[in-house]
Amino acid sequence: MNPDPKTMPDPSAMISVRNLSKLYKDFIALDRISFDVQRGEKIVVLGPSGSGKSTLIRCFNRIEPHDSGILSIDGRVINAQTDLTQLRATVGLVFQNYNLFPHLSVLDNCTLAPRLVKKTPRADAEEMAMRFLRQVNIAEQANKYPIQLSGGQQQRVAIARALCMQPEVMLFDEPTAALDPEAISGVVGIMNDLAQQGITTLCVTHEMGFARHIADRIIFMDKGRILEITPPAEFFTNPRTQRARDFLDQMISY
Amino acid sequence: MTHSMARFMRRCSSRFRPRALAAALAGVLAIAGSAQAAEPDLPGFIHDGTLTVCTNPTLPPMTFVNGTDVNAVDGIDMDIAHRLADYWHVPMVVTTMDFTGLFPSLAAQRCSMVASGIIKLPEREKNFDAISYQDTALVVVARAGTPRLSSMADLSGKTVAVQSGTSYSARLAQENEALAKAGRAPIIIQQYPTEDQVVQQVLIGRVFAFASQDVELYYRQEQLHGKVSVILVPPYPEYRHFALYIRKNAHDRELLEQAIATMGQNGQMAAIQKKWAISPDAAKALANTPAPPMFRWDTFFSALTSAAFMRGAFITLAVAVLSHFTAIMISIPMALALNGRDSLLKMALKGYVSVFRGAPTLLQLLFIWNALPQFLPIFREAWFTPFLATWLSLSINESAYQVEINRAALGAVDKGQELAGDALAMSRRQVYRHVIFPQALRIALPPTINEFISLLKTTSLASVISLQELLAVTQIQVARTFEFTEYYAAALVYYLAMVFFFLFLQKRVERRFAWADRHKATANES
Ligand SMILES: Nc1ncnc2c1ncn2[C@@H]1O[C@H](COP(=O)(O)OP(=O)(O)OP(=O)(O)O)[C@@H](O)[C@H]1O
Ligand SMILES: [Mg+2]
Repeated sequence: MNPDPKTMPDPSAMISVRNLSKLYKDFIALDRISFDVQRGEKIVVLGPSGSGKSTLIRCFNRIEPHDSGILSIDGRVINAQTDLTQLRATVGLVFQNYNLFPHLSVLDNCTLAPRLVKKTPRADAEEMAMRFLRQVNIAEQANKYPIQLSGGQQQRVAIARALCMQPEVMLFDEPTAALDPEAISGVVGIMNDLAQQGITTLCVTHEMGFARHIADRIIFMDKGRILEITPPAEFFTNPRTQRARDFLDQMISY
Repeated sequence: MTHSMARFMRRCSSRFRPRALAAALAGVLAIAGSAQAAEPDLPGFIHDGTLTVCTNPTLPPMTFVNGTDVNAVDGIDMDIAHRLADYWHVPMVVTTMDFTGLFPSLAAQRCSMVASGIIKLPEREKNFDAISYQDTALVVVARAGTPRLSSMADLSGKTVAVQSGTSYSARLAQENEALAKAGRAPIIIQQYPTEDQVVQQVLIGRVFAFASQDVELYYRQEQLHGKVSVILVPPYPEYRHFALYIRKNAHDRELLEQAIATMGQNGQMAAIQKKWAISPDAAKALANTPAPPMFRWDTFFSALTSAAFMRGAFITLAVAVLSHFTAIMISIPMALALNGRDSLLKMALKGYVSVFRGAPTLLQLLFIWNALPQFLPIFREAWFTPFLATWLSLSINESAYQVEINRAALGAVDKGQELAGDALAMSRRQVYRHVIFPQALRIALPPTINEFISLLKTTSLASVISLQELLAVTQIQVARTFEFTEYYAAALVYYLAMVFFFLFLQKRVERRFAWADRHKATANES
């Protein structure tokens, strides 16, 4: 299942990574990572704190530039010459702490980037925004400011905001980690819907339900390396590495 | 016709010195010159065919503003300057400024001459040429009814007010040395920036006496309503003449002396002295007018509605708004650079901020106005007005404060905001323009308004470089009328009105930041 790191990236894959490494000074945050994500695939990234999960998915929209190796998104190799606007319009990212723009209404949060980046006329941008806000069940709050919303509502707005750029890949970095259980189910529900619609998804999450039932594959990371890439059924019942077994034991006992 | 031609020639020769041409034209000029035998030679201090006179118009009757138009300087000195300009057939321009700025401006070639009721003194003549035009005497003045003194030693232990920048304090210091030798207490000297404040100290009883010149006192009698009287005329051999000051030049000096002598002979001097009634007889006639009421409401209201005050307030407001706007514009890129990576630029900016926060604003104004032209002659030219100098100086000064506000505000915006903007494919510019700046603005606004209010009041310092802002206008009016309370009150009303307006504006603008407060955001919605 793991691609040979020596081969060239797969141009038909949505994301293709070969020997990807990332350093912070002399600390190796990502260590020679190689894998492919096919179009429409749902991947959940698991691993202990500090294993490099956030760093990895942030490389995909070059918010963190990688230091070596090859990264290809939608058949195009990503490097210092890449047009970041086009890349980031293709790859949406949702943060753990939402990062909504507090000075803009929910609707304006969703329309700002399409209007500025894609030059979408305001009316069209608002129409599209309302469509996505309805999809995340928050249309009635369109004219409120983020501060007036609960955490779960804010995260749903953040998802709608990312969708307004009509990305082909959605990256989620622990989208439910800051939410209470009730709010979690709302957000996970929406992620399920998106997954059903076939958008390529990479999600860092500790939501076992989502990992078990929605993910096509689990990537398990530790110390900047990928230790396992396996379907969830296999990963949860029969992890190959001791490290993954320990990790799962901890998750369950917690 | 011949005159303007001569001037044209002078310009040509000073620029190109075309000897052959000059020699050829000398013949032509000789013919023209013979027809114009009485035409006086132009002294070198008349630049570009204009007599520029620098004065501090707070010393009636020598030089003062005799009306509500602050630009109309009147007085004996101005009359003489006009006669001199007529004599040389050149236009005259008056530049008003603080007393302490007069001699630096003369040295910086901003003036042809200083005519400001200044005494001819040997110390001053070391650096400048002085040409006397009016006799006078130093007088010591106290409140009416104070017994006369027999000598300066009688002032021992008493407080005497003098105008700063004048030579009176040095003369009193000499007296103090003599008093010290005799084992007696010194005269306590207090210095004030304007002559009217000096007089006011005696009127309100804070000081015992002030030193002044007799002609001024004669003239002042009308406004003082006999409230002061001369208690001593010390027998100083100096302090006998008012003089015009020019930069040292033997030829120019001779020409100016000639001109003054001519005015003495043709009766023009006598006419001026008569016009201003500067004789002891004129003073006595006025001493018996009745005392004025405590607060003249009519003066107060006419000051409030006067064109002079409105213009002064407008200048204050304009220079403050422009300076702060410029400061903000400079300080935004500065703040971004200072929040960024270490670099040579960052080091330089840190130095800039320390220097301009460290140096007193008044010093910066004086430096830009008086010292800068010494290094860069371009700042000596007429386009560099006091307004521009103040604008430049306060912009630089204010930017050093504003940059700290901007830095703190930019730093207070959550780093996740920039990340979110990046992740949504927005460009650097778009992220700053639409995400970071609007949020930083909310944080920066209250301290910025505070800074602005402080700056609005700091503009009053610019009176030292002759900017006719609100406080300068007030002081000129006070010097003319001695109606302190009324004019100060009017100035206060203007300052408060401006400050309250900006506080009101702040409240209005803050309403737009309801997004930062859950309750306000909800309240606004309903
Ligand atoms: N900007 C940075 N500078 C230096 N080190 C960094 C930086 N960002 C991350 N790291 C380090 O890189 C390693 C991986 O960080 P990363 O945030 O990717 O971990 P993670 O798997 O997402 O952890 P968590 O589950 O806690 O979010 C960590 O050891 C972290 O300390
Ligand atoms: Mg993380």
